[in-house]
Amino acid sequence: MQQTRTALTPSLIAIVGFLTVCPVVMLILGSFTKGLGAFGSFTLEKYVKAYADPAFADILVNTAVFTIGSAVVATVLALFLAYLNTRTNIPFKFMFRIISLIPMMVPHILFAVSWVLLLNPSNGMINLFLRQVLGMDGVALSIYTMPGMILVEGLLDLPIAYLVIAPAMSAFDVSLEESSKVCGASNLRTLTKVTLPVLRPAILAAMTLVIVRSLASFAVPSVIGMPGRIYVLATHIYRVVATGFATDYGLAAAVGMSALAVSITLIFLYRHLTREGEKYVTISSRGYRPTVIDLKKARYPLFGIVALLSFVLIVLPVLVLFYTSLVPYSMVPSAKAFAMMSWKHWIAVLKDPISLLSLKNSLYLGVGGATLGIVLSFFVAYVIVKVRTKASGVLESLSFLSFSFPGIVVGIGFMWFFVQTPLYATIWALLIGYIATYLPYGIRPLTSAFVQIHSNLEESSRVCGGGRLYTMRRIVIPLLIPGIVSGWILMATMFVRELSLSVVLSRPGTEVLAVQIFRFAEDGLWGRLSALGILMIFISTTLVIIASLVGAKLTKVDK
Amino acid sequence: MEISIRRLSKNFYSEGKTIAALANVDLNIPANRIFTLLGPSGCGKTTLLRCIVGLEMPDSGEITIGDEVVFSAEKGIYVPPDKRKLGMVFQTYAIWPHMNVFDNVAYPLQARNDPREEIRKKVEKTLHFVQLDGFENRPATKLSGGQQQRVALARALVAEPKVILFDEPLSNLDAKLREETRKELRSFLTELKITAVYVTHDRIEALSLSDAVAVMKSGRIVETGTPWEIYFDSDRRFVADFIGRANFIEGRVASTADRFTMIDSAIGPIASEKKIDASPGKTVTVCIRPEFIRVLKASHKDGENIFRGKVESLVFVGDAYEGEIRVGETLLIFRIEPTTAVREGEEIALHFDPRHCSILLN
Repeated sequence: MQQTRTALTPSLIAIVGFLTVCPVVMLILGSFTKGLGAFGSFTLEKYVKAYADPAFADILVNTAVFTIGSAVVATVLALFLAYLNTRTNIPFKFMFRIISLIPMMVPHILFAVSWVLLLNPSNGMINLFLRQVLGMDGVALSIYTMPGMILVEGLLDLPIAYLVIAPAMSAFDVSLEESSKVCGASNLRTLTKVTLPVLRPAILAAMTLVIVRSLASFAVPSVIGMPGRIYVLATHIYRVVATGFATDYGLAAAVGMSALAVSITLIFLYRHLTREGEKYVTISSRGYRPTVIDLKKARYPLFGIVALLSFVLIVLPVLVLFYTSLVPYSMVPSAKAFAMMSWKHWIAVLKDPISLLSLKNSLYLGVGGATLGIVLSFFVAYVIVKVRTKASGVLESLSFLSFSFPGIVVGIGFMWFFVQTPLYATIWALLIGYIATYLPYGIRPLTSAFVQIHSNLEESSRVCGGGRLYTMRRIVIPLLIPGIVSGWILMATMFVRELSLSVVLSRPGTEVLAVQIFRFAEDGLWGRLSALGILMIFISTTLVIIASLVGAKLTKVDK
Repeated sequence: MEISIRRLSKNFYSEGKTIAALANVDLNIPANRIFTLLGPSGCGKTTLLRCIVGLEMPDSGEITIGDEVVFSAEKGIYVPPDKRKLGMVFQTYAIWPHMNVFDNVAYPLQARNDPREEIRKKVEKTLHFVQLDGFENRPATKLSGGQQQRVALARALVAEPKVILFDEPLSNLDAKLREETRKELRSFLTELKITAVYVTHDRIEALSLSDAVAVMKSGRIVETGTPWEIYFDSDRRFVADFIGRANFIEGRVASTADRFTMIDSAIGPIASEKKIDASPGKTVTVCIRPEFIRVLKASHKDGENIFRGKVESLVFVGDAYEGEIRVGETLLIFRIEPTTAVREGEEIALHFDPRHCSILLN
């Protein structure tokens, strides 16, 4: 009974090890190499060039301000929302579930673009409104600034921070707060002196995670930062490989090394913090509902803020994009604008061969990549949860490593690898890169699903005469369906909207949706961009709905 | 079917330490009886059960069920659990949440590819037996704890195994339901003529349910016998202590000539039930259970097994008074009718029934 397992673990370590270690090793080798064509001739000149550049200090400062700023915005908002949801009698609590999940489906690049459409200084809709309707001549609010970048990135990372903080907030032992109140402290004092300090590990974990995400973020720095000439590490790397006359992958690798090092350090810090957090936060099994604080008159105003946030996060981007896809050029919504609406941009997109190719490629990558990814995740999660040897611990660390990979840096690493293989410039290069970078998103839901299957459920099937495979087919897999479905959904939506890795690996013939949208943004073709963006959201949403329906049908109990 | 276990050992390794879960266990489990493995947690009783059913691989030894050797380290035999044709009820019930009651119960028959119509008949019959008629289409998770327990029992019985194993099946039920289910289980099992191996740490469960009990400690079988023998005639202090509350009085055998063996002890001579190995001069322990200490008026005349003492503490527990009596330096626990008029601090006389004073060899 042991042989199958012993063969499984090493082969998984080999596969996952290849996926996660290969880009890192190639990045390191690449950073010491003269150029893509001269692999094997080593030099230190790329490091000298990268780090002696006087502009590099500015880039580092920008990166630090951008990532920490976004982390503060996202974490503060997440704390506010999580507190309202778990501790107060705010109405319509289902809104919080929507806020925490739906924005994951709005692709980051589209969210960033919708803010550009609203707030770019020349013809952003809000600026046009201020000038034309309110007659405030010369006013030009600009999103192309550091605060603009921080605001948009912070909003984008809000769901991630919320998903870390909300469980800690609701698992928190309320008697700690109650004893503070018994001692005569006010609600506010209890919040600042007891609740927040006890939640500190969760808050730090959320901030760390957002810093890692925003360090990896390419959409916001490229769509909002680059027009304002504000460069961070990700866009600096992009500038080195994609613009100018001489692309230099060695230099990009040398720069990428620092981003990767910071990212890996932070991810291990995050892991440490979440473990610490488990020590602090006491899940009381007593089943008491936390005491709910009555917001009294503040109930509806506070709910107004929540509603406004969800509007800004979910409805606004889609509305702005849809509106832009129908009007001929940027204008304030008015009778005139509605009269001039047409399907012109939609038709242009649907006749554009590259846009159609990118639609097809992204759909293939979403469906095929998520399916392959979830199969791999299934076996990895099985080994991590059920086999539990030293080797499975290695596998867990390996699979967790790619969680820290900034897409563009991994892209550079993979570029160095794929150039040596026939996979270069094929859709397989993208597929392998995607699975390597987003593997943890498939493994996470599956490990938690595996953990929930008590070993007795499998054992009783064995005692009832079910063999190993029969048990797998009738007990284990059916019980895992919810985990499989949510892992698949996460991976598929990530793949359909993938930008930062694709922007490096995508070549003529392997265009994908997000890259095509990014090209439209560079060319200022906002109408076509919006039409293609709406199609992208439509594809993601359709995949999510189909997967959920299939999952619901498979898990139905009654015959 | 009879189960025979020979020199079975199993070690677990954790954090560099070796823990002997089973140490050379020899055991015969008679056919068509309810046999209980009783012991404190960590004594190896569940490991032994899991070795019998095949979920755990012993390090050495041999297990035979009926005529078939299902495990033998020497001969390299290991029959996997799905080929042993046993039934088992887990502590967690292990009801599959993604199936309805019918599919849960039908599973063992479906796994061996019985014809559909036969499966339907057998499931119906078994559900009727455990009094769950008409529950076929209920999702298994929508049942109460007691009902889930019966589904687990039905699933273990449906394939008509010759042996059924229970791993603390009642421990997740509340006290009242536990008592009812225990009685039901007893009647089900007696009706079926089946070999049942039952694991529990609850002595009342073990005593009331079993035909025979084996008490385990640190991976070894300490004593085997009928519930009556284990309760009244145990040879060992551990068993006597574990199976119920008891007073242990150290002493030395004075004479074995009379109807009872006389023991010299700190509280005086005690007349006790005879024991073959207790020859004069041997150091022994006398065991007397609190319910067999009779409390008498202080004015009671002296006699055999009459002692004098003072009530140190007294607690009313509903159906009885429980308390401690000091006799010389020795504290004895006792349990008397709630109607007896005794007060704390009162001087009293007490009497041990010699037939309930058993001798434990040290």
